[in-house]
Amino acid sequence: MTALERVVREEWGRLVALLLAQFRRLDLVEDALADAVATAHTRWPQDGEPDNPSAWLVTAARRRILDRLRAEAMAARKEPLLTVEAEHRTREGVMADAGEVVDDDLLRLVLMCAHPALPPEGASALSLRLVMGISTADVARLFLVPETTMAARITRAKKKIVTAGIPFTIPGREAIGERLDVVGHTAYLAFTAGYAPGSGPDLLRAELAGEAIRLARVADALHPTPALGNLIALMTLQHSRRDARVAADGTLVLLPDQDRSLWHHDEIAEALAFLEATRPGTSALAQSYRLQAQIAAEHATSPSPDATRWDRIASLYAVLEQVSPSPAVRVARAVAVAEADGPRAGLALLEDLDLPGHRLPAVRGELLARVGDVASSREHFASAIALCDNEVERAHLSSRLSALA
Amino acid sequence: MTRYFLSLAYPAEVWADASESDRATMHQAHLDFDAAARQRTTIVAGEALASTDTATTVRHVGGRAQLTAGPFAESAEVVGGFYLIDADNLDVVVELCDLLPHSYAIEIRPVVRVEGFDHT
Repeated sequence: MTALERVVREEWGRLVALLLAQFRRLDLVEDALADAVATAHTRWPQDGEPDNPSAWLVTAARRRILDRLRAEAMAARKEPLLTVEAEHRTREGVMADAGEVVDDDLLRLVLMCAHPALPPEGASALSLRLVMGISTADVARLFLVPETTMAARITRAKKKIVTAGIPFTIPGREAIGERLDVVGHTAYLAFTAGYAPGSGPDLLRAELAGEAIRLARVADALHPTPALGNLIALMTLQHSRRDARVAADGTLVLLPDQDRSLWHHDEIAEALAFLEATRPGTSALAQSYRLQAQIAAEHATSPSPDATRWDRIASLYAVLEQVSPSPAVRVARAVAVAEADGPRAGLALLEDLDLPGHRLPAVRGELLARVGDVASSREHFASAIALCDNEVERAHLSSRLSALA
Repeated sequence: MTRYFLSLAYPAEVWADASESDRATMHQAHLDFDAAARQRTTIVAGEALASTDTATTVRHVGGRAQLTAGPFAESAEVVGGFYLIDADNLDVVVELCDLLPHSYAIEIRPVVRVEGFDHT
């Protein structure tokens, strides 16, 4: 990784926040910083890397913003008072380059990008772009939309922030917890997008999903909450299996068939320590994240599929269903119960259940096959295949169907 | 400073079927909102609207005005009043909305300033 790549990856959000605190012009800041990065891309290899790469980028970006402000002042045929004022503040801004003030600015940026007045998918994309410095092309890839669509979505979110007056501030003690819950949800939305059924196999999307974990960690480092901590543990555990999820030929590898040596065991250990250090929290959201993390931890710490403590997983799902009831949770619980107590017990939990998508018929098909009801199993696998729009999952379902003699 | 138009919507029966004491509670909520909003914002205007059965909607069809009785969109929720306020940012407005009756749905829209066109 070059110095430029490192600075973009690790400092982008701080630099955006710093420039935004100084100029309060969201419409100028991102473009100016992107221009500065483009200039650095050609200049640094020739001139050598600057001693302080972040400071170099901020200075270059400031120059561009001041140029734009002067041009605006000229166009408006006004005395360039605004420009003078902004230049004056530049000197103050230099002192804020390090220390707590900047941390506060970064928190302001995180909260602004994940403001509840923004549509969730817009907030998610904007956070990855502005806080994490992910390119629009990569954000588009993560969410499986064309780059132009994603560029328009990010532009709309920025326009709403400016027009609707979404503030660059830290709310009071009462409101900040809820606001950080939205930040967590925003990160989780991006994370799950990386693992969502796509039009085809794409390993890079899983790597991009890791950026969502970094986003949650940035927020948690600035202002820890039980919901964020438990969510980070959950995402880290899910993410630790990424290399084992897809085989070399692109086909999906299910949990029992995964090569556990491919799991990132260092990340599992880190997630377990995080879970240990995080309070359970009192909100349903924090508890739900924690229970899901505990379920993921049972899988992650099991040395082999046969050794999986399905009894404990089934109990955790039963509690999860009380904390946040949903048909999807019921299906997951039925799978665990089927493993712990047999397929009939699992099928009993699915009676009269309704859940759109391929997951429910796929699970019913599997459990019916295990009780020996081949005819009904075929029917359910067939409707699951018809409903599944992910190549790798569909291939798996088809192989299950054809294996039914 | 941004100017915001707040339209206050609620199911028609929220007001029509309200008891005297319910109406007094709602009235007090508006007085509380007014007092708090004056501390932190400028209230440019604010009115309660007569019921939607007194509304007249004008549409031009083939260049001619056609009148229909009632609001432009028939829905379960009706717009029953509005505020026009100048505030620092959206969060201030959202916080103030907490004082209004919780049976309301409140749509907050920033106002577009058109140069040379100011009626206030």
